[in-house]
Amino acid sequence: MSRLLGLYKPFGVALGLVLVALLLHPIAGRLRDDGTPRDRAVLDGVATTDVTGDVSTALSRIFSYTPADVSTAQRTAADVLTGAAAQQYRQIFAQVQRQAPAQRVALTTRVTRAGVISLVGDTARLLVFLDQTATRAGRPDGTPAAAQLTVTAHRDDGHWRITELKSA
Amino acid sequence: MPETDALQRTAACLAVLAALFAAWAGQNWYTAAHDGAHAYSRTRDAVLQSAEQGVQNLSTLDYRDVDTGLATWLDSTTGDLHQQIAQGRTGFTDQVRKARTVTTAKILDAAVSELDERSGKASVLVAVETTVTPPGGTPVTKQNRLEGRLARTPGGWKLSDLGQAPAGTT
Repeated sequence: MSRLLGLYKPFGVALGLVLVALLLHPIAGRLRDDGTPRDRAVLDGVATTDVTGDVSTALSRIFSYTPADVSTAQRTAADVLTGAAAQQYRQIFAQVQRQAPAQRVALTTRVTRAGVISLVGDTARLLVFLDQTATRAGRPDGTPAAAQLTVTAHRDDGHWRITELKSA
Repeated sequence: MPETDALQRTAACLAVLAALFAAWAGQNWYTAAHDGAHAYSRTRDAVLQSAEQGVQNLSTLDYRDVDTGLATWLDSTTGDLHQQIAQGRTGFTDQVRKARTVTTAKILDAAVSELDERSGKASVLVAVETTVTPPGGTPVTKQNRLEGRLARTPGGWKLSDLGQAPAGTT
């Protein structure tokens, strides 16, 4: 009988532990689900810096060309664009490819500022301010154009690729 | 007696399982509470919201009610920008009343370009469309690319600087 009574102790301890665990579990769930954002992939801003850098470099490279060399921009585009963005780019660039050499047009695109609108998992939306300077036969063709784009990017294998381009 | 032994063993097993479950749940709770990434994105959302509201406020002014307008401006700002507005208040009020313009704004897009949670500073980009209506004239709409800085204050994130985003070589 005394041994049977002794069993109450381990049962008591077990019951206590289960109660603590059951209590902590929903609190954890609530902490995680608190607020609307689900930006779990952001690790102290590293992803933010990565995506901003990758997208800025990509945009300035794919939208810069000289009459003699349009293909570098196109090759870069094949690497950094995917989905709808790639399709859009091919349409625009078919025209560029025909006209740039004949009209001796060069375009330089510089990203002046870029920021993150949202970053959820492996998908980011960015706002990018860029300046485009065109030259025709080596002479400036008008003043630099200020443009702004909203860009959607997706991360595969640690690299951010642009999936959607929209002029804001 | 062997029956009691079996019971004791079962109890011990249950205690071990309960301990493991508790440890798992405890760890679960701990990581959720200390999820830095999650906190960072929440801060970014807060900054973005304050930036949009702040720029919206500072791009809105009606000559018929300049006082309320400028009070909102002061309320949306901190630091240097706040001081500039406070200092230029009287002169600006006269100008706007004389020009009799109504300015409204629509935020097109906004994004966070820098965020330092520790020091409570952030930089933002805001694309805004402002419409200025002169007395009896046709409204003039203009798109602006703005760059702003925000600082964390006890009253939330507020604009400490706002200007045109630089173009060209700067």
